[in-house]
Amino acid sequence: MPVFTGPSVLAVTLLMAFPVAYTLYMSAHSWFASSLTSPQFVGLGNFRRAFVEDDRFRNALWLTVYFTGLATLLQLMLGVAIALVLNRPFRGKGLVRSIFLLPMVATPVAIALVWMMMYNPTLGVMNYLVGLVGLGPYKWVSNAAVVVPALVIVDTWEWTPLITLITLAGLATLPIEPYESALIDGASSAQMFWRITLPLLRPTIIVALLFRAIDCLKTFDIIYVMTQGGPGFASETLNVYTFQVGLFYFHIGYASSLLVILFALVLGVSLLLIKVRRGAW
Amino acid sequence: MIVTRRAWLVAMAIVLTAMSPAFAQQQFNWQQAKGSQLRVMLNKHPWQGAIEPHLKEFEALTGVKLVTEVYPEDQFRAKVLVELTSGASSIDVFMSMPAQEGLKYMRAGWLQPVDEFLKNPALTAPDYNWNDFLEKTRDAMVIEGKIVGVPIQVENASLMYRKDVFQKYNVKVPTTLEELEAAAKALNGKAMTDDGQPGYGIVARGKRAAATSTFAAYLHAMGSTWLGPNREPMFNNEDGVKALDLYGRLLRQYGPPGSENNHWYEASSIFSQGKSAMYTDSNALFPVIEDPQKSKVIGKVGYALFPRGPKGQYGSTVAVWGLAMPKTSQNQKAAWLFMQWATAKEQVLAVQSEKGVLGARDSVWKDAKGLSKVPADLRESLTVGSKVGTPLWNPPVVAVAECRDAIGAAIVVSIQGGDVRAADNKAAADVKRIMAETEKK
Repeated sequence: MPVFTGPSVLAVTLLMAFPVAYTLYMSAHSWFASSLTSPQFVGLGNFRRAFVEDDRFRNALWLTVYFTGLATLLQLMLGVAIALVLNRPFRGKGLVRSIFLLPMVATPVAIALVWMMMYNPTLGVMNYLVGLVGLGPYKWVSNAAVVVPALVIVDTWEWTPLITLITLAGLATLPIEPYESALIDGASSAQMFWRITLPLLRPTIIVALLFRAIDCLKTFDIIYVMTQGGPGFASETLNVYTFQVGLFYFHIGYASSLLVILFALVLGVSLLLIKVRRGAW
Repeated sequence: MIVTRRAWLVAMAIVLTAMSPAFAQQQFNWQQAKGSQLRVMLNKHPWQGAIEPHLKEFEALTGVKLVTEVYPEDQFRAKVLVELTSGASSIDVFMSMPAQEGLKYMRAGWLQPVDEFLKNPALTAPDYNWNDFLEKTRDAMVIEGKIVGVPIQVENASLMYRKDVFQKYNVKVPTTLEELEAAAKALNGKAMTDDGQPGYGIVARGKRAAATSTFAAYLHAMGSTWLGPNREPMFNNEDGVKALDLYGRLLRQYGPPGSENNHWYEASSIFSQGKSAMYTDSNALFPVIEDPQKSKVIGKVGYALFPRGPKGQYGSTVAVWGLAMPKTSQNQKAAWLFMQWATAKEQVLAVQSEKGVLGARDSVWKDAKGLSKVPADLRESLTVGSKVGTPLWNPPVVAVAECRDAIGAAIVVSIQGGDVRAADNKAAADVKRIMAETEKK
């Protein structure tokens, strides 16, 4: 039997374990891919530099947390609310559901380019729309204070359907008995939602949250296409910064240590959410 | 007596200049590397598009076979870098901007300087005439005292302006930075589009790293530069801070909102939609501005030399694409023949007259044929700019990309109206740190 699993074990080792191990190894070195000098061992020097000296890194770390927090919160609220609406019987439900899932299957780069046009302060449609309700005009992704929320809107537009989809699946598996007994006890529909639906859905919602949180922490495509981390460094998340350090500055050692930090961050958040899922609310 | 002797000398000189090239042309052996094969790496670029149909002529002339590979710019740079890093590259010739990667490649020992090839009459045709290249385009190919290649295209930071708008509101076309600001102020908010909508006074790049290329012109016009004589940052001196302040002020007060995120394609589209009176950027963008499919300002745009500074300093940058040869090439003689052929007057004239590629040869700009595809007044901003300007459109460091980001961050702060001096000092400190890290021996 082990003979048959052999090739896949080998493939996993080569394709996953080796790059991770090599990244760890590189993270303890200083190496510019373009120089003729070989990697120099610096121990934890890269990490010290990141946390102590590099304000661009600290900015990126904060923006990653900010972006992820805002995006997941917004998507969670909208996604669950929409799922509850779509879960009710109404005419054309199937069609509405399908249409609603479309943003998720579109290409992120195309989405980013379209939003970029909509956000254009001079020529875009967004300032017209917010103008209708008496707001703006904003500079959107060109304003350092607004750029992260503006990117969160794009991410939310694209990924809220995922939370809706998972929540709908969860709703479909809910038992009917608790609702029957609640009705007999005279519970209001608000009470039923907060006391029955939400607690029963919790494991499902947390799985959805876990997916989105991991994805948001390492969001790259829309940010890179729309702002490349700008204006200045106002939307430069950890992933965008690492890309810059690794593939534009060719500081491979330092980029590896940044990746290790991002990896630890994603792992930490995941473990936390899994713990929340198992434990009490 | 003296008169006749002088006349005789003049006559002699005329005969010699008239005869010798033709004579030597027959002597020069283009077939000396016959049978070899060259691997040529090209970046997707107007020059590449224009020269490709002519490559067969080179093969016929020399008997050297060309194998070309073309990649979009980002992949192109990465591909060349990775191959050269490996130390086992089979590249013979590649397109290169020395101001971008020259110092890094030179210090890494990857570039084969061509000084010796140029001097050798057996390898260089007598009518090649290196000195025909505009002065600063030759300088742009020199890294640490060595000529690392030959120029194929040149572009300059310059002033593009709406002739109709300047005339309508009776504003003088700026020749100094002071007049530039005055014109931006006077024209901002004035009606200038086809349907009479107001436009901005000026537009330029504001996106972090991208903005540094244009800012370089303001910096040098103001009388500052990137590094001092001992290679220490000096762009944060008094003049440097003034330049940074001016750049941010122009875009903040008289430019479109959101300039912080504008690269050249956003900036050029605002200008070509008729929404700005002036645009400071590379004059090589003229095909975008004169594009009949997209532009609304065709024929209305003047192309001027970049305005001069308070002490008359020139700001024009001289950005040059060239052809370079890796040290590892096994066919250096053939590679040099190709570099030489591609930049000989005949080919430069061909690509400039057929596709409007801005050539670096003075004689081509004096040739009426060379002007056929180029706006007439662009000639001055290019030929004068390329004689008096600076090749330093980038800081002359190894880690160009990283330093551009550090300086670009200060430009963004200036556009946003932040503390310009503090931002400039921080950028200088960052550049110093980056240089210490990447240029240690």
